[in-house]
Amino acid sequence: MDRLKDLPTLRIRTEDKVSFKYQGRALEALGGDTVATALFANGVRIFGRSLKYHRPRGLYSLDGECSNTMMRIDSVPNVRAETTSVKDGMNVEAQNGLRRQGFDPLGFMDALSWAMPAGFYYKVFHKPARIWPVAARQIRKAAGLGVISPDFEMAGRYDEIYPHADVCVLGGGPAGLNAALSAAESGLSVILLESRPWLGGFFDYRSKLHARAAELALEVANNPGIRVFTNAPVVGTYSDGLVTAFQRGSKADCFDERYIEVRATSTVVATGCIERPLLFENNEKPGVMQVGCAHRLARSWGILPGKKAVFSVGHDLGLEAAIDLADLGLEVRCVADVREDGQDPRLVGELQKRSIPFYRGWVATQAKGWNRLRSVTLGSVGGAHERRFDCDTLIASAGFTPVWGPIALGQTKMRFDLHTGFFLPERMPQNMYAAGRLLGLCDPASIEASGRLAGLEAAAGRGLDVAARMSAAREELEALPGTVRGSKLAMAPVKGKKAFICFDEDTTVKNIDQALSMGFDMPELIKRFTSAGTGPGQGGIPGHNLPLYVASSMRYQGEVRPTSMRAPLVPVLVATYAGANHDMAKRTGLHESQQAAGGVMERVGVWIRARRFSQEKSARAEVENVRNNVGILDGSTLGKFRIHGPDALKALQRVYVSDMARVVEGRMRYSAMCNEDGCVIDDGVITKLGENDFFFTTSTARAGVTAEWIRYHTRYDDWDYSIVNLTDAYGVINLAGPNSRKVLEKITDADVSNESFPFSCVRDFHIRSIPVRAMRLGFVGELSYEFHVPASFAQSLWEVLEEAGKELGMKNFGLEAQNTMRLEKGHVILGSESEQRTTLHDIGLGGLWSRDKARWKTVGAVALTHTEHQRGRLKLVGFKMEAPASKPPLDGSPIADGRVKGYVCTARYSTALSQPVGMALVEDELAGEGCRLPIFEDDCGGRLLYAKVVPMPFYDPEGKRMKS
Amino acid sequence: MALLINCPVCGKRNGYEFRYGGEDKGPRPDDESLSQASWCDYVHNNNCVAGIQKEWWFHKDGCGAWFTIYRDTRTNLEADTSADTSIPEVK
Repeated sequence: MDRLKDLPTLRIRTEDKVSFKYQGRALEALGGDTVATALFANGVRIFGRSLKYHRPRGLYSLDGECSNTMMRIDSVPNVRAETTSVKDGMNVEAQNGLRRQGFDPLGFMDALSWAMPAGFYYKVFHKPARIWPVAARQIRKAAGLGVISPDFEMAGRYDEIYPHADVCVLGGGPAGLNAALSAAESGLSVILLESRPWLGGFFDYRSKLHARAAELALEVANNPGIRVFTNAPVVGTYSDGLVTAFQRGSKADCFDERYIEVRATSTVVATGCIERPLLFENNEKPGVMQVGCAHRLARSWGILPGKKAVFSVGHDLGLEAAIDLADLGLEVRCVADVREDGQDPRLVGELQKRSIPFYRGWVATQAKGWNRLRSVTLGSVGGAHERRFDCDTLIASAGFTPVWGPIALGQTKMRFDLHTGFFLPERMPQNMYAAGRLLGLCDPASIEASGRLAGLEAAAGRGLDVAARMSAAREELEALPGTVRGSKLAMAPVKGKKAFICFDEDTTVKNIDQALSMGFDMPELIKRFTSAGTGPGQGGIPGHNLPLYVASSMRYQGEVRPTSMRAPLVPVLVATYAGANHDMAKRTGLHESQQAAGGVMERVGVWIRARRFSQEKSARAEVENVRNNVGILDGSTLGKFRIHGPDALKALQRVYVSDMARVVEGRMRYSAMCNEDGCVIDDGVITKLGENDFFFTTSTARAGVTAEWIRYHTRYDDWDYSIVNLTDAYGVINLAGPNSRKVLEKITDADVSNESFPFSCVRDFHIRSIPVRAMRLGFVGELSYEFHVPASFAQSLWEVLEEAGKELGMKNFGLEAQNTMRLEKGHVILGSESEQRTTLHDIGLGGLWSRDKARWKTVGAVALTHTEHQRGRLKLVGFKMEAPASKPPLDGSPIADGRVKGYVCTARYSTALSQPVGMALVEDELAGEGCRLPIFEDDCGGRLLYAKVVPMPFYDPEGKRMKS
Repeated sequence: MALLINCPVCGKRNGYEFRYGGEDKGPRPDDESLSQASWCDYVHNNNCVAGIQKEWWFHKDGCGAWFTIYRDTRTNLEADTSADTSIPEVK
């Protein structure tokens, strides 16, 4: 199809050819086209099929207010063709049973509409209940929009930004542009959000105002105080000046879509109007479209909407469009205007000049044709006269609907304004100002003036002294034409059954009548019963007409209120909300060394750690090396803290269950923290550096919240202490195995004999010239040293130790080997051997709790008292598998009497014992020594594994090895 | 999150930066005076005021301070109560 050429308003780039596919056919579009305009230019008139009756649907608006033009684009279902720019190589497919244009095997559904009254699904398919699953399957096949493959993966680049501004202007039309300029000229920073790809609003496509729109847009672009986001529809407005939106990116952008969260002190809403659909028989046939749609198609995209057109409008923009389109080459058969009077006489004169018949007080009553419009019947509003016109296009509009969603979300009530016929806010939400067409203004100068005033109001709300400029702006606005009387006609005088109030849900005026006669009397209830306005377009099509129509019915007594608006005002991809989704993890200072040594790295909480150093999953060689020789482990992820200050001891007494006054210099103390319920949340060792100066460790997983936890539980006390998180500042290397002292002796002058540095002690000394804090711990059950060094020394220490250990055959060991060895020792890892409900008593660590420190109000102490002898709790036990040759269970649960009686926490094959061992949390009646645990697990094939409860530790029960 | 919170150290910041710490129930009662029921009541039960409530917040992505604010739970806006002593403390 040839496009109109040489119009100053055109938004297409004729030299820029884009090829895309529609239903498998290769089509050509121009740069600047949306998918909808490209398809229209290629002769596509039927864009979709309606949900319930499978009626053909075409291009109606151009802003995506209904599901008519939803398509599957590049495998993503339900994409609005009207607001999606066409891109090279795009694959566009029609939805909802539309195999070929013009034929739909379910088209007969329309003829059955008499059998589907309002509330049809609610009333018919629930009796008897067994038919619902069958019926639902058939209904879903026939209805429903879009198909998504279960294997579908969303492609694309997504991002998010959180800009701040003094003023956020919603809408880049003449009012919004002026508001942005006057606010920015007052010295405020401004963010402007516009949903269309360009600024200018309803000035942009009108021949006399286009130049002014361009001038304003240029001024805004040149103003450094204004940041403009085009292609960015507003999603929601919230308290404290929060506005959410999203932006569609172009090829040049680094994103396909991004989430925008604007925080502004003030918001100016200048979102303008959409058109209010005209209700008449077959008002949604392909070929029926709104005024703005037809006008913009021609002026912005160079496409005439048809050949022979009839206009049935209710406002001056409709008359202007008829004149303009006639000049561009459209044959305008006639123009009907629902208003008896009030038209701009100049426009009426222009119609006369072109000999276009003009009918005042007339309206379209019926459209005829099936896949294409063939004729239109016009009638006088009173219903006395009628005339029929052959045409292929009907340009219809009842009036305007202000886009007040962003205001309504501010929890303000909307009231019906008799003069404009609009729902307007009773009062504006705090720090929010409205401007432009949505107030009912129509005159271009008034709209611009109201924008300027709103920008100044926002400045005043920000505390700037703009009183003089404001009163000048107000006077200017008052001198200009005010709000325009709007058409209130809800319904043409028709008796038919197919006047659609909601396109998405196929809700007809007849359905509304049925709901009214059943006693539903509020728009909110009628909306839910008939589903009008519950489709993808929400209130876009029925939002204004539904309450108007309900109010015009004789049954309705109350005030006219619209149905509620809720965010999101426009649908947003979940992928956009998910954003870039960067996967962030921490590496220890020894990461490279571990990797170079063949470490199999994996994500553990926020860290990346070496699980093992061979492909063998149980890491048996690593275990044997530590048990018989010496191994080395990177333990840098351990939580490490220093707490000091006059009240440091008090703070520790509050959170640790043991008596911290007994911690002495040079010795470590193992203790645990509980929450208020007595459930154990953390364990670690505490060492004393000096008076009210302690260094303590926490589990890796807990390190992030330890400081917060201690401060929370001392928040009422006004204690004076400082807590420093040293987790990332210190590296930790664990040297373990019977030969570890031999390695250490080679590289330090300090006396590290068992007499001067025994088990459970802490010493500060130097290894070569590296200052280390060494702790003698026994987590893996062997002679072992844990070296804490400033993170920058960690790599050097690692190399020194490796060098010294070489001749003894020292090897790396990873998390897997550590886990097996600590299991053999019966040492717990919180989170593995505990869950939310596990108390200190349950896990067998009740001995850590000091009862005689009530004055410290230790967190969890009260609950520990209450639960000490409680029955029916899960207790931690050790178990051995009855058959030494059996595999250790991976997970699984002990069951008895057909009930789950707990679960397996950790189980591994123990080389030292030559059989599988494990720990489990089991109900207390199964916790006694010698109890038989029948364990079920997923892949046991119905054959239970049997284990026996045994005392722990499994390995070296006296602890001779770690103390040696 | 629409909520803005006034941190006494860092000033007005986005609610995303904070963690909620519950209603302000006052310091923990002494252990001796507690029954199991009164203990559970202190730990677990809340007043759930529809109105202005004093509550704890932690500036997790900031200074790391715990502090209280007054918030109107109906509007989710921080209430300015610096001069107003008529608001009863939630017990």
